[in-house]
Amino acid sequence: MSSVAAPARAAGRQPAEDDLLCVRDLVKHFPVTRGLLGRTVANVRAVDGVSFRIGRGETLGLVGESGSGKSTVARLVLRLLRETRGEIVFAGHELTGMRAGELKRLRRRMQIVFQDPFSAFDPRMSIADVIGEPLRAHRLADGRSARRRAGELLELVGLTGTDLDKYPHQFSGGQAQRIGIARALATSPELLVCDEAVSALDVSVQAQVLNLLRRLQRELGLSYLFIAHDLNVVRYISDRVGVMYLGQIVEEGPADELLADPRHPYTRSLAAAIAGAGPPGSRRRVLARGEAPSPSDPPAGCRFHTRCPAAFGRCREEAPALRAVGPDRTASCHLLERPGQEART
Amino acid sequence: MTEYVVRRLLYGVLIVGLVTVFVFLVLRLIPGDVVRLQLANAPGVGEAQIDELTAALGLDQPLHAQLVTFLGDALHGDFGTSFQSQEPVTSLVAERLPITLQLGAMAILIGILAGVPLGLLSAVRHNSWLDQGMRLVSVAGISIPNFWLGLLLVTYLALYFGWSPPLVYQGPGQDLESNLLHMILPALALGASTMASIARMLRSSLLEVLHSNFIRAVRAKGAPETLVIFKHGVRNSVVPVFTLLGLQIGNILGGTVILESIFGIPGMGMLIFEAVQMRDYPVVLGCVVVYGAVFVLINLVVDLLYGVIDPRIRYARR
Amino acid sequence: MSELGIPPAGNAAGRRLRGTWRGLRRFVRTQPLGAIALLLITTFVFAALFAPVLAPYDPIEQNREHLQGAPDGRFWMGTDDLGRDILSRVLYGARTSLLVSVATVAAGGALGTVIGIVSGYFGGSWIDTALQRVMDTIMAIPGLVLLLFVAALLGPSVLNTIIALSLLVVPSFNRVARGEMLRVREELYIEAARANGCGLWRILGRHGLPNLLAPMLVVLSLVFAIVMIAESALSFLGIGTPPPIPSWGRMLSEGSRYLEIAPWMVVFPGGVLTIAVLAFNLLGDALRDFFDPKQLR
Repeated sequence: MSSVAAPARAAGRQPAEDDLLCVRDLVKHFPVTRGLLGRTVANVRAVDGVSFRIGRGETLGLVGESGSGKSTVARLVLRLLRETRGEIVFAGHELTGMRAGELKRLRRRMQIVFQDPFSAFDPRMSIADVIGEPLRAHRLADGRSARRRAGELLELVGLTGTDLDKYPHQFSGGQAQRIGIARALATSPELLVCDEAVSALDVSVQAQVLNLLRRLQRELGLSYLFIAHDLNVVRYISDRVGVMYLGQIVEEGPADELLADPRHPYTRSLAAAIAGAGPPGSRRRVLARGEAPSPSDPPAGCRFHTRCPAAFGRCREEAPALRAVGPDRTASCHLLERPGQEART
Repeated sequence: MTEYVVRRLLYGVLIVGLVTVFVFLVLRLIPGDVVRLQLANAPGVGEAQIDELTAALGLDQPLHAQLVTFLGDALHGDFGTSFQSQEPVTSLVAERLPITLQLGAMAILIGILAGVPLGLLSAVRHNSWLDQGMRLVSVAGISIPNFWLGLLLVTYLALYFGWSPPLVYQGPGQDLESNLLHMILPALALGASTMASIARMLRSSLLEVLHSNFIRAVRAKGAPETLVIFKHGVRNSVVPVFTLLGLQIGNILGGTVILESIFGIPGMGMLIFEAVQMRDYPVVLGCVVVYGAVFVLINLVVDLLYGVIDPRIRYARR
Repeated sequence: MSELGIPPAGNAAGRRLRGTWRGLRRFVRTQPLGAIALLLITTFVFAALFAPVLAPYDPIEQNREHLQGAPDGRFWMGTDDLGRDILSRVLYGARTSLLVSVATVAAGGALGTVIGIVSGYFGGSWIDTALQRVMDTIMAIPGLVLLLFVAALLGPSVLNTIIALSLLVVPSFNRVARGEMLRVREELYIEAARANGCGLWRILGRHGLPNLLAPMLVVLSLVFAIVMIAESALSFLGIGTPPPIPSWGRMLSEGSRYLEIAPWMVVFPGGVLTIAVLAFNLLGDALRDFFDPKQLR
């Protein structure tokens, strides 16, 4: 049983007050309207009761299939979307319901790196303008000073100041993603949300960018919310991992432990898919039996029961709650309640 | 489908209502006292008479009350009385509207009858001299101001053929031949740009369809070229032409104002032009609302016809 | 971190200018009709600006000895019913036309574009709905009826003509700007700008507007054509530019009384108007093809 000794990286888990980001019961429903008066006939439950914490200097990986709601979580945290309900506390500030002016000050301290750097840059802006934009938007610098800072940031991510006057389309995918990281770092944020930040890159380039992210974390003391569908990538960079399925976190725990000894059947199927796989960064899609149901009409009971190899009667009727399944680990599955399983907790 | 029709109908009503409110407010906000304007020609008017007329017209009420009263009357088909002729606006409009509609219909008919064959030929003989010539004619057609074209037609028909349109307008019931001779030139002048627009649109949309994979497949089956063009090509390229037609209605309706005044045709255009010059506000208001209603109604019909022409359109939510 | 690798700013602007120049050359090469249109428009603008220098006679001076003279070596376009030189009046009329069109397109275009961009960015919300209802209302009134209504009530003056025409063109700009903005707002870089802390006006101004300039340029050209016709139509009806300012529409209405005696009074001003309108229509078409090479024409 590997649950006994926590790996070194995950060991330094701080108490709640020191968490940089704390999300509680986050819910986001997208209404589906129909008819003359725009009646709401259904809700796409993109995020349905998600809670997690990220400590300073820590990385939380969120993994799941497309449609599991992980990118919605990213956008909620960054206030690019408004939540249906729930709490988001960033560095001691409650973000939900915050006024625009106050929010703008906090935006400096949390930034995002997108999946496709090319579409995340305005094609008409030079690199200097792209990187300088957050500085100008927050009135941290202008003109020459913004340009100088942009050059420094380019060098920080492994490019050179001579690239400042080029345009996004003149770069390769890996270089462009470095520019995306440079832009995200411009305002010296404490939290970086990486939304599938390496998913669009070639395997070799993926590893380089992941290494860059780790170096930056070390040097700048950043916290990451790292979102990906590739478990190998997530394992490589994360201290802790949360597994999302249809808008909920079904299992969470220290990265190495969770993968070595997955408790939830869904996590098991993910882990099995990469078992014996190659080096970190090798691209392999996570697969479970069949297709995921639509988040607008999730199955009753446990959401995973339609695809779960171990499902039994109760799974179809009652949704399992998240429960502690080891030191610092949680999972939601009725199987974990059975005496044999309980003994392990 | 029913829901779509109902929704479009309600929307049309809403827009006509908004047009009414817009025109009403603009008229009330324009500086100048309506009552004094109206009584300006009458000699020896005292303040008492002015107050009396003001009250009679309801102009002493607050603006929103006037608006509510006006909208209520309008719903019953009462747009007030002309300051000038003292006739009800509704009957004035009812008298003039058919004339304008006849002119507009003739213009559109000319536009379609000339524009469709031109566009077809041009697309079928793509890049030929005929095509190039047609493209030039059609750009020129949309660029020529219709009133100038009307003037040219009159001038050169008179100079070279010694023919002029009848001097006095006759209704189609009185003298159909004279009526048509009177209407044909303005209808031609109005229809020219419609013709050119239709030819251009049909050409480009037909070319697009003829170059699509689906037509390539039909050709590959060995279907004869005429069948390819007429059965498959035209049917699939007519929708954008219809959209265009809806938009052209606005141009044609607007154009009637100026061409009616050139050719002395006593339609809505003449009515509103004279009313505007005389500051006959009730007539102006009634005319603008009716123009708007006609435009909205025709576009509604065009929208609904889409479904008949192209069954692929499912009346999805706008 | 060294500053040595950072080149000085400034050549970015130069690069952009050179890019514009290169774009213009490519336009002339690939769109011959567009190039001709551009040439015609340049001539039109030149004639309008330098009318006082180019005009052989005073446009208002009446010449009793040459009433309704046919075109000849002295009066290239003939004279009108008051003996005024038509060529000079056409040149001065170009000034009026250009002034009114530019002012209209500037005012109506700016307003319509702002409305369209804001509406598109908030597409589907109540702001969008409210703004579009207003636009639909204006569009439901046939163009010339609207012009007649507004211009006549305001009274004939150059400024009032511009106000009425601006109202007419606002919906055209709105429609294109909104449609493009609905597309642009789905772009990831807009979301990135929000995440970067950009405010509404920064997003719309720095990311929205520049990315819909190409289609706006096409509308601009086509609207120019519409405005020139509409201005002449208003003057023709006697409620546009007041005399004695020479305007093509008024020249046409004066000439329309003498069609059979002095057709040149109508032929030349109308012909020049048509050519100017044609040039803007051709330019609009060429710009559309230039920006959208996929489209078959």
